[in-house]
Amino acid sequence: MQSVEEIEQRIISARRTFDELRAEMARVIVGHEKLIEQVFIALVCGGHCLLEGVPGLGKTLMVRSLGETLSLSFSRIQFTPDLMPADITGTNMLTDDTSGRKVFEFQRGPVFAHIVLADEINRATPKTQSALLEAMQEQSVTVGGKIHRLENPFIVLATQNPIEMEGTYPLPEAQVDRFFFKLLLEFPSREELARIADLTTSAPAAGLREILDAAGILQIRQWVREVPLAEVVKDYAVRLVISTHPQQKQGNGSGGLAQRFVLYGSSPRGLQSLILAAKARALLAGRPNVSFEDIRSHLRPSLRHRLILNLEADAEGVTAEKILTEVAAQVPEVE
Amino acid sequence: MESLSNKFNEILSWERRKRCEQTLALLACATLALAILFLPLNGHLPSDWLRWTVPGILFVVLAPWFFYRARWRHQNDVRAVAALDRELGLAECAVTAWEIAGGSERSGAAHLVLQKAEARLRNIEPKLILPRSLSWPMYGVMPLLALWLALLWLDFDRGTSEGRHLVPRALAEKVREYSRELQDRAKGEGLRETLKFGQELEKTAQKSLDQRAPEESFRKEVASLGQKFAIPSGSRQDKSSFSSGETEQSLKDLKAELEASRSLQFPGAAKGSEEANQRWMEQLSNLPQLKRQIDEANAGAGMGTSELKAFLDKLDRQVTNELDRRALIDAQQYLQQMTKQGSREQGENYARSGANGEADPTGADLHEKSFSNLPGKEPGKRDDDFRSLPDLRVGPPAQVKGMLGAGESSGLMLKGNPSGGKSTVADSEIVASYRRQAEQELNSERVPEDLKEMIKNYFLSLGEAKNK
Repeated sequence: MQSVEEIEQRIISARRTFDELRAEMARVIVGHEKLIEQVFIALVCGGHCLLEGVPGLGKTLMVRSLGETLSLSFSRIQFTPDLMPADITGTNMLTDDTSGRKVFEFQRGPVFAHIVLADEINRATPKTQSALLEAMQEQSVTVGGKIHRLENPFIVLATQNPIEMEGTYPLPEAQVDRFFFKLLLEFPSREELARIADLTTSAPAAGLREILDAAGILQIRQWVREVPLAEVVKDYAVRLVISTHPQQKQGNGSGGLAQRFVLYGSSPRGLQSLILAAKARALLAGRPNVSFEDIRSHLRPSLRHRLILNLEADAEGVTAEKILTEVAAQVPEVE
Repeated sequence: MESLSNKFNEILSWERRKRCEQTLALLACATLALAILFLPLNGHLPSDWLRWTVPGILFVVLAPWFFYRARWRHQNDVRAVAALDRELGLAECAVTAWEIAGGSERSGAAHLVLQKAEARLRNIEPKLILPRSLSWPMYGVMPLLALWLALLWLDFDRGTSEGRHLVPRALAEKVREYSRELQDRAKGEGLRETLKFGQELEKTAQKSLDQRAPEESFRKEVASLGQKFAIPSGSRQDKSSFSSGETEQSLKDLKAELEASRSLQFPGAAKGSEEANQRWMEQLSNLPQLKRQIDEANAGAGMGTSELKAFLDKLDRQVTNELDRRALIDAQQYLQQMTKQGSREQGENYARSGANGEADPTGADLHEKSFSNLPGKEPGKRDDDFRSLPDLRVGPPAQVKGMLGAGESSGLMLKGNPSGGKSTVADSEIVASYRRQAEQELNSERVPEDLKEMIKNYFLSLGEAKNK
């Protein structure tokens, strides 16, 4: 068993690492501090992120910068309607061996990287989209009956454009559920826009410094899971997840938006995501335990893509955001 | 970790104590509220002093349910520690440490949480961090208590109750009123025993009103007073020679005739004179009751003046005693009826008056009701066995000012030819009654003194002319 001093030391270390990472990213990314924190949390929790935002908000730049600061391999896949699964996973190629015989050799696809940017993932066909299913869940790909392990750590950062829906294929629920977070990129503020103009129209900044390597990430991932979680806090997370289900009454016993507009509530993966993210947040905040606020702050990124709303919600313009805001307000911390 | 556990115990003990206080306050509020609500039912309590114990009884009855409902549970522990976290801004460090301390897990991270919690909680004072919050029941207890005491002090429960406590007060007031009327009557007619009884009765009623005595004791006192003045059976024959057939009216007539006879010319004054005897007989013929008594006693012409006067004095005393005796019996019977039927009738009267604490308007209502509601007695029919109740003055009739207008009649109009009936009152009594009235009018101040004799002679001459 590790001593208290060692535990304290690693909490300090994790926090310092995160602070350095954030400062380094801020050199090239203007704003999006919360987004960077959530992406890092997803990384240290072993989850994948679905980034949703209009073009030009710096999604790709952010993911690329993250790869640079983390000293991790990075690959980008531009999803198009004619993209094939083999284009992602790789394929067996017929090559000559040293003795001159013809043999099949596996040519690894772009998925074999620590950080994979799946750009405009909803433009590929469902067949191609599902090529990522195994990679995201099992962290492996199977080609020609042979399983190929992916890099560790492995994170998929997929982007999609919320306004340009023509010629797109919405992700199936099974695929969406595999994303740890769904993050929304917001348009920068006036000050942020001015800084973006300064940064991008002046002399390019020097290269980003490597803050953390793969081993360090795996180490933090281990620490995250050891953060103590009180039963009462866990119960709070459970009640929040349950409250997204239309069959359940909400905190005050009254039927809320979830009862009216949700077709299917969050899956158990939503709860896992919520608790792991809360633990990571506590660790990165330098606290030894999880608080109610840790749970609450990750409610929307963890659950917004896991709620399947009915047609009535679509007609009335009720979003998952609104429902989750109501759930957070109505479910009491201690029952 | 020992100190951390002790600190948690201290915090939870404080929270339990607060819960207990709140439960007590809520219980007290509920008890007092119920006691106020049940005030109108206080009249049904067997004893008057029990109304002061109602909140205590309710408290004892409700306490088990309240304390069971507010019993301390594990979830309350969690809430208390979570509240501590919130107050100190510990980000759930205390509640996590509390759970770790209560479990068996002792990882390095768990130890760190315990250490941090201990460092933060070491010097805190639970009473300062989680102070006693004054909830609405705590604010409500004193006003409710004051309200209950005030209502009890103002006899709200008596005022609103249709129960038994209202009755003695109204009954005592009625009895007092009746006793005063009885005294007036007794003074007017010279009824000594009745006067004494009336005085005693008024004292008893006044005492009951002053002391707000309960119903039972007042009834007992009235009953004992009745026994004190009770006339033993058989004593009537000793004191009076009047039969039960003598009506009260005839006795009163006799009394009036005796008064009138004082001014007559006795035959003894002209002894042996035929004319004097003749005149005496003529005078007696105008006083039928007295004449009958003289005839029955075989007295009159053979007696001297002094003997006749002695006889008349004796007769006067006997009449007075008989009237006194009958008035006393009537009064006792009336009181008996009033105390027996009073509760029910008072309740009815009270309900009619709108339950606003008004007393029953007149005692005459009760009297008339008891008079006419006696079983087997047809209204207006005289019966010798029935002894009429004493008349009570009901005071001037109420006058209602307003416009007269047509309204709906609730009466039933029956049309039919009148049929002759047989009177049960003797002619002699009616004649005597008219005679008495005439004499009273003649003796009044309205008739000039010098004309009285002339008028009297005129009427006597009319009688003589008729006889001829």
